[in-house]
Amino acid sequence: MSRWSYFARRLVLAVPVLLFSMSIAFVILRMGPIDPVSAIVGTQNDPAYRQAVARSIGLIDAQGNPIPLWEQYFAFMRDLLTFDLGRSWVISRGTSVSELIASRAPRTIWLGFWSVLVALLVGIPLGFYAGLNPNTFSDYTASFGGIIWRAMPNFWLGIIISSLLVASAQLTGGAFNWADWIVETSGGGVTAPPLTDLTDPENLAIAIKQILPAALVLGSSSMGNEMRIGRTAVLETVNSNYVETARAKGLPERVIVWKHIFRNALIPLVPVITAEAFLLIGGSVVVEAIFAINGLGKLFFDAAIQGDLPLAGSLLYIFVLITLSINILQDFLYTIIDPRIGYD
Amino acid sequence: MSTQHQYEDVPLRERIAANPQPAALWAVGLVVLLLLQLGAIVSTLGTALELFASVIIGAFHGTPSGISPASNVAGAGVVAALNGLEQFGRSLPTLLSREFIPNQGHATTEGGWDGTFLGLPPAFAWAFRVFLIYAYMFFFLWWLWFGYRTFVSHYRQADWTPRDDVVRRLRTHRWGQFGLVIVVLFVGLGLFAPTVSPVTYDEDVINPLEYEVEYLDDSGEVQTILSADANLQSASRGNPSSNVGPLSYDDFGRFHPFGTMNNPGGDLFTFMAYGARVSLFIGLIAMGISGFIAAFFGLLTAYYKGLSDLAVVVVSDSIQAIPVFLLVILVSVVFQGHWLAEFYDGGLLFALVFGLLYWPGLWRAVRGPAFQVSEQEWVDAARSYGQGSITTMRKHMLPYILGYLLIYGSLMIGGIIISVSALSFLGIGISPPTPEWGRAVADGRGYVTTASWHIAFIPGILIVLVVTALNALGDGIRDGIDPQSESGESGASEAAAAGGGG
Repeated sequence: MSRWSYFARRLVLAVPVLLFSMSIAFVILRMGPIDPVSAIVGTQNDPAYRQAVARSIGLIDAQGNPIPLWEQYFAFMRDLLTFDLGRSWVISRGTSVSELIASRAPRTIWLGFWSVLVALLVGIPLGFYAGLNPNTFSDYTASFGGIIWRAMPNFWLGIIISSLLVASAQLTGGAFNWADWIVETSGGGVTAPPLTDLTDPENLAIAIKQILPAALVLGSSSMGNEMRIGRTAVLETVNSNYVETARAKGLPERVIVWKHIFRNALIPLVPVITAEAFLLIGGSVVVEAIFAINGLGKLFFDAAIQGDLPLAGSLLYIFVLITLSINILQDFLYTIIDPRIGYD
Repeated sequence: MSTQHQYEDVPLRERIAANPQPAALWAVGLVVLLLLQLGAIVSTLGTALELFASVIIGAFHGTPSGISPASNVAGAGVVAALNGLEQFGRSLPTLLSREFIPNQGHATTEGGWDGTFLGLPPAFAWAFRVFLIYAYMFFFLWWLWFGYRTFVSHYRQADWTPRDDVVRRLRTHRWGQFGLVIVVLFVGLGLFAPTVSPVTYDEDVINPLEYEVEYLDDSGEVQTILSADANLQSASRGNPSSNVGPLSYDDFGRFHPFGTMNNPGGDLFTFMAYGARVSLFIGLIAMGISGFIAAFFGLLTAYYKGLSDLAVVVVSDSIQAIPVFLLVILVSVVFQGHWLAEFYDGGLLFALVFGLLYWPGLWRAVRGPAFQVSEQEWVDAARSYGQGSITTMRKHMLPYILGYLLIYGSLMIGGIIISVSALSFLGIGISPPTPEWGRAVADGRGYVTTASWHIAFIPGILIVLVVTALNALGDGIRDGIDPQSESGESGASEAAAAGGGG
């Protein structure tokens, strides 16, 4: 199988995967032990309201007759695939889900962007450094630190970092105060970043500063992974034949490191970086809850615990779409950068 | 031994009968070890069977907790009988128990202690009991290892098996051994929670109004106070005047290895020990379920290939496309008030959900090795010899992939522990009164930079330690069974296993 037909196969496979995973969501939402209407209505016991809710989410038709489950299933799938995501009932009654997503997404994207960036900029250089100086004291320090860092639960790291930053002035006796460090920020500097007018340098600085603690926490496990994998990849590349050849023909060390080692060691890091996106979606729920960032993760969490199941289902669909596109992107990157892939 | 001539297949029973002495010695040792802890073993068995029976009954009748007598007399009878077994177990003698080595007592005016083991201060009495428990546990494990050595040197027919190489590599793998020791400490904490904790969970949290504490007050009189009141007055609430930190005594002469909790007080170590029990329960059950599914599909897809492989790829990709953490949140909401969610305050539900959601990762991990082994000549030989497909898979393929299941299993238990505590931190995981580490972190959240920093800090450190140890153990097993493996290959699955989103 050539690598492009391998890629095409992966692309085609994404379709049944999308359909099947949304079917799982349908089973949980509509066939689970909870009645979706009661979840939305809660203690409010107005029959007319119940009817309106049931009609809106497609449980009964206009005359009040129940719609059979298989028709519900097709309606559910059709709505999702045509991006007719419905309305929110509890979180913000009457607002369309697309509007809610559009208003919340920027903060989550900002958070995700910085956590990927922080993890990449710290994890990969550290890992490569450790790999180029194996079995030295600095290698052990970096490796051990990476292992510990990776095992830290986000929620715990989050509360520790946010508490320390909020109390930074008292703890250091006023020597360091996170709230007015570099730029002055409100709320102790660990609240949601204001994302208005990022072209203004000061606003941009505030937005970056406020997102950094959350991004550091969210990227923590990926940072550790990138470090570990980066170290192993460099170690393997350093001992490979082509590096020996390059050295034998007298290439300067700088060229060997940057051209032959660095570029090849990046290949095994591709799945780690793309797997990061996956961690980010799940982790954003916890991190957004701790740092009070009103993003998509918090929206999903609120929707789920307050019984706004149609909203939660639509959000899940968006998340699945993101995951699948990232998987496809990963296959695409692999297809381009590593010609050996695809004879599976 | 039978090295000179060809092995004839003598059953192990006959081999032992021919040379009974080493086996008998080992068996006697095992029986003595078990008898020492008979009461604890019987009562733990009773509790486990009781839970299992309640689940089965609940599954048939859908009644809350499965022990409502009106709905099902026979079921209630079974559960009551098992409860009786548990009580009977409690009445049996147990050497290493709270009753034998008590750590609760009150100071006397002469400066000694009354009611504690040998009059030792409570801290030493408690430490002594914990030390003995772990000594027992490690000795027990060593005895099992000794049993394996006995088997190898006296009863095994083959001189050498591939497992010998695995064992040899593991014996010098310090990082893996570090992981193993920590994991054993963690398992011991959960398994022996009623004994290693300074106070029982029943007295500490469930029924503190029914227990009394004796203490020596400032005027030199011995007073009694309800446990509930003592807990409240010795709670850690941030300012130094109302705080009982790690390794310190409260005003009532009680020792708190990890300090006390905030509201309504209580011992943090006890909370952690019983919480370890819950984490262990969820992790092991989930691993059991997903390991079974993964092994089943792994063998099936490797043996039949083609369409069966494609079908499992689609199903497992679909499950993996949904962020696990979000799906678990959704499930925990949907199952609110359902009878399944009542066992262990949601523990069983989470165990089942994680079991059904984590198998794709495991299956991905064993898929490659299973394909490799299915291409071997011995599988082909077995097939052409006329051996049934199920027998071939079980005898010639399964042993090869079990090790890989162990590697990723230990990584995944770490991920599950983090996820469950993250859910509990958010308030939708294990609900009170069942303890969960994440809830202690949530309770201590407001006190991180105060005198009561220990409430949130210690549970987090323990999670880091246990997860690191599980990763180390996984690394050890991998290097043991497959020294050529490149950890770079497994990067993505490792990332997914370790994080999970907590």
